[in-house]
Amino acid sequence: MRAIVFREIRDHIQSLQFVALLLFSIALFSANGIIFARKFQAENAAYSAAAAQFAPNTQYIFLTRQPNPLLFLAEGGDLDRPASYYMMAKGYFSASAPRPRDYKLPDIPKLDWSFIVKTVFSLYVVLLGYAAVCGEKEQGTLRLVLSNPVGRVRFLAAKYAAILAAALIPLAVGCVISLGILGVSLPQILTWGLASRVASLLALSAAYLSLFAFLSLLVSSVMRRSSLALLCLLAAWVLFAVLIPDTSGILAEKFAKVQSDYDAAKSVGPMIEKEVWAKIGALQPRIDKGELKTAEAIKAEADKAFEEGQEKVRFFEKSYEDSLAQRAALARSLARISPVALFQYAAEDLAGSGTHREEAFREDLRAYSREFDAYVLKKNGKLVGQSNWSFSTSVKLAGKDIEIRSPQAEAYRGDMSDFPRLVERAPRLGDGVKSAAGDIAGLLLWNIVLALAAFATFLKTDVR
Amino acid sequence: MIGVIYKREILDHLKSAKFLIGFGLTIAITVVATIINVQDYGRRRQDYANAERDLPRNKFEIQIFRPPEVLSVLVQGKDRSLGNKASVNYLNIPDRLTGYMSERSTPRPKSLSGFGSVDFAFLVRVILSLLVIFLAYDAVAEEKQSGTLKLALANALPRSSLLIGKASAGLTVVLGSLVAASAVSVLIMMVHPAVDLSGADAARILSLVAVSALYLTVFYMLSLLVSTVVKRPATALMVLLQLWIFLVVVYPNVGVSIAENFYKLPTDREMAEKKVAAFALYGDELKKVQAAYFGGDRTQATGMRYLELQSLRSRLWNDVDRELSLRLSGQLERARWISILSPAALFNRVAERYARTDIEEYDRFLASVERYWKTKYMDFQVLFYKDLPAYRKASTPPFEHPTEGMSEAWAAAAPQIVVLVLLALIFFAAASTAFLRKDVR
Repeated sequence: MRAIVFREIRDHIQSLQFVALLLFSIALFSANGIIFARKFQAENAAYSAAAAQFAPNTQYIFLTRQPNPLLFLAEGGDLDRPASYYMMAKGYFSASAPRPRDYKLPDIPKLDWSFIVKTVFSLYVVLLGYAAVCGEKEQGTLRLVLSNPVGRVRFLAAKYAAILAAALIPLAVGCVISLGILGVSLPQILTWGLASRVASLLALSAAYLSLFAFLSLLVSSVMRRSSLALLCLLAAWVLFAVLIPDTSGILAEKFAKVQSDYDAAKSVGPMIEKEVWAKIGALQPRIDKGELKTAEAIKAEADKAFEEGQEKVRFFEKSYEDSLAQRAALARSLARISPVALFQYAAEDLAGSGTHREEAFREDLRAYSREFDAYVLKKNGKLVGQSNWSFSTSVKLAGKDIEIRSPQAEAYRGDMSDFPRLVERAPRLGDGVKSAAGDIAGLLLWNIVLALAAFATFLKTDVR
Repeated sequence: MIGVIYKREILDHLKSAKFLIGFGLTIAITVVATIINVQDYGRRRQDYANAERDLPRNKFEIQIFRPPEVLSVLVQGKDRSLGNKASVNYLNIPDRLTGYMSERSTPRPKSLSGFGSVDFAFLVRVILSLLVIFLAYDAVAEEKQSGTLKLALANALPRSSLLIGKASAGLTVVLGSLVAASAVSVLIMMVHPAVDLSGADAARILSLVAVSALYLTVFYMLSLLVSTVVKRPATALMVLLQLWIFLVVVYPNVGVSIAENFYKLPTDREMAEKKVAAFALYGDELKKVQAAYFGGDRTQATGMRYLELQSLRSRLWNDVDRELSLRLSGQLERARWISILSPAALFNRVAERYARTDIEEYDRFLASVERYWKTKYMDFQVLFYKDLPAYRKASTPPFEHPTEGMSEAWAAAAPQIVVLVLLALIFFAAASTAFLRKDVR
């Protein structure tokens, strides 16, 4: 068997596919190292500048996210999320600037390791493996080989090992280049923690590429002509890598039982009308009846109405954000039909990026928000909740206009040296593995099913 | 003689398993993608109509909604990702559109693949270009390997006739598949109640099919060239697939990636500082006038000055925003120049232009919003301070966005069309030369 494996590997190494894959791997992983080193340096400089200029304020606080140096493994949409937020009392957050800033460019994937493996390497595994059985059958070498004392299982296992090895060699070369570039630019990231994440991601990549190797062997055993086998495999690759993931977003919008963007917007107006303006509108009749006699009494009543209104608006906006998160989760679940999506989500978890990282960051923000509220309450004696809506109007008291507007948080002018700071928890590999367990199990299941199908088919193949 | 070769080649293609599989896949993806996209368009169209009718608006803050483009069913481009609402008030001239909920854009799960949306443009760019390769890679190499090439040329058959016969037959099959896929898409669109295609849309669809045909011709000629130059069909297929991966998957993204990472843009902080500096001269005056106005000085002069200063600040900030917008356009141009020789990038750009789903259409819409703000909207707001009863009686001025004519779209896309034509001609000329000199033994 070893002889077959080595012969196969040697044949692959001399093939055009292998040379092209090696060249692409070197080029793409080099670009990965350069691009992510630059991005991290830029993000880190902005983060350090923001940290240096941190100004305690009890009205609102400007929070900047700590950049993740592991995005080169799997970016997971991290660079398109807001880098900084304004936070106000009672847990109200607002992104400080929209992303992506360069919105005019076409949407292209970030050149992280997961993209290179899931798209380019999976395609090349197909190109390396499509002729494994039917190619030999076309040339007439299959029956010659099997006329020797070589078991079919061993023969196919050798083919599988050779395909996988021919894909993993360029992958290893590429990873070393990328780590080399990143190590020179960002020596601080070369730690044992990174080594274990890289090892986990490589193991995951091997499991992912392995299923494409089994798929190639299966189709190659079923089809009689290698060009047809390749066509079918490319169709399967397009289905897994493009069609299922890309249509899952639109399908989630169709099937998600959550408010659409428009429906949510439609409910805001009547809600504000009911919660704010109806109560404010009731002030003038009360003034006219003599229930409210002073400007202070009017403002106190208005403040109460505005506070309650703001509370409802905040709750509504939070519910809307939650519904968007639910829709995104549904899209991810639908995409998981494809092994490409399983690999992507597992890679994000292992790299400490993606939606789980985002959820962890939001948890940190919520914890910090409680500290912030307690601090503001201690310093100002009261908490004023706001939203991104502000309201103002006027009422008449004894023929004079009284301006009333939604209350603003007060700026504390005293000593704020004990102002709390946001502490972000660093992502732990153990948590990542735990989150990725389901997706990893899915990939292994794909491997088992395809391996059984490939071997069962090959054992029954007519080799003439 | 060409006619005989043409007929034989067409029959061979139509009977081949690779054509049947490829064609079946093409039609299946066309049906699924068009149904999904047309339903999505229907929802967005309904949301737009409901928003125009139902969403609350007032005279101070006028909501302008952008309708979805009907041809986004075929070429999604930027149509559904960059927002559909502009809130116009005198405090701000919108520099970006937002979602209905005023977030910057409707969040959607990001594409995993990097091929963009699954639509007609994707079908042509990815699926049909692959089908072209599978139909053409063995056009010459297979006949050479099996020995039929020298037999065919032993008859009184000029080489040029054989090549033209093969090329025209292959192209007929490819373009026939394209026309079938287009017809299926258009039929599905026509039976959907949300879609109302006009004559101008028909012209755009025909232009889209024409540029698709040109793009596929480029790939056909490239395949013919490789099939002529390379001896073994299996090697020709592998060479072509490497070229396909480079031209369709890698190269179009390289330009964008370089522009994204190596084109300097002002930071958020720099933008904020520029805005503060732009209005620094008037900052104190605005504070004074504001204090006077809200302190009870409601004279026309104070009101007008308050409005003028707010309006001036909006204009100055808009100048800073426009500067960034121009930088972003420059960044995009850089990406486009780097990808100038990628048929996939050229095709995509032209297809989005014809479908009016490109970033230029978005910029044109924002320019209309800016024009509206500077003319009709501000004139209307002046009325508030000059003649309040008239302001209360008047209805908000209507927003207008002139539609780009087809001739303008053709003119804008002409350079990309020329490059695609040149690529097709160069590949065909190279294939012809190589075939005329080929050792057919």
